Amino acid sequence: MEKLIQYLPYLIPILVVQLLLMIVALVDLARREKTRGPKWVWALIILFGELLGPIVYFIFGRVDEN
Amino acid sequence: MNIWVVFRKEMLEQWRTYKVLIVAAVLFLFGLTSPLLAKFTPEMLAAVPGLPAGLTDFIPTPSVADAISQYVKNMSQFGILLALLMSMGSVAQEKERGTAALILTRPVSRGTFILAKFGALKVTFAGSLLLAALGCWYYTYLLFEPLPWVPFLLLNGLMLVVFMVYVAMTLLCSTLVRSQSGAGGLAFGGLILLAGLGAFPRLAEYLPGRLFAWGAALALGVDKTAWPALWVSLGLIVVCLLAAVLVFRRQEL
Repeated sequence: MEKLIQYLPYLIPILVVQLLLMIVALVDLARREKTRGPKWVWALIILFGELLGPIVYFIFGRVDEN
Repeated sequence: MNIWVVFRKEMLEQWRTYKVLIVAAVLFLFGLTSPLLAKFTPEMLAAVPGLPAGLTDFIPTPSVADAISQYVKNMSQFGILLALLMSMGSVAQEKERGTAALILTRPVSRGTFILAKFGALKVTFAGSLLLAALGCWYYTYLLFEPLPWVPFLLLNGLMLVVFMVYVAMTLLCSTLVRSQSGAGGLAFGGLILLAGLGAFPRLAEYLPGRLFAWGAALALGVDKTAWPALWVSLGLIVVCLLAAVLVFRRQEL
């Protein structure tokens, strides 16, 4: 088990990138007036979808404001 | 207006729609996790409590080859998927929204319009792949051993060529079809077709997918080349872009 624990520091950069994606997605969601589908559902997807959540939101959740 | 101006507009658009962020983050994450998983999985198996004593001997010791094959596998899947997702809307969406017509009222040729899009996507993928390569190289160095960096960069260059085949193909689909999802579906059909053809060993020699095997061999110092696949890939990129420009020229917006 100690052997596995020694790999924990390697996970830090990975978690930082995931957190960054999540924050950018949440900020975008908060600023946006309209999304495809209810906003609170997207918030849940971003928060609990791990890596996939923010990306799915970026690609499918946003509608153009033109 | 020259291509540089249109290219800058495309880069800005990709930044604004988070495409740069998505591609960079996903590829970088797989760059880091690939060597980590290669190292971690066998040791995790060995740490399973109650494993019969004799069985641990059969768990292979992870090597740098596992790290590379894991990296190439992840990149080939997610890189190609991203190539489709990031390119499918590029022309179709602008036609849908009517912004294509707007841009083309200015002195921009339709060829410039398509090529600037391709160029911008290429920069995004090249930069992200470089980031992923640095991450993968560093983690492989920490967990295994330092890889010779020139062959490793060549591996990433070959992967970039494959991604660009799919970007060019999807751009063509995006030009042919009016809707973003239609373009995505059509490009996915092309992906399935290429994968299907790859099932025939004789044909596979000439298909872009072979470049992954070549790159992996290069990075590990194995002597194995796939020049025909490289020429076919570059040819496919040129043909798809040319077709996209020709079709787009005749289209009414």
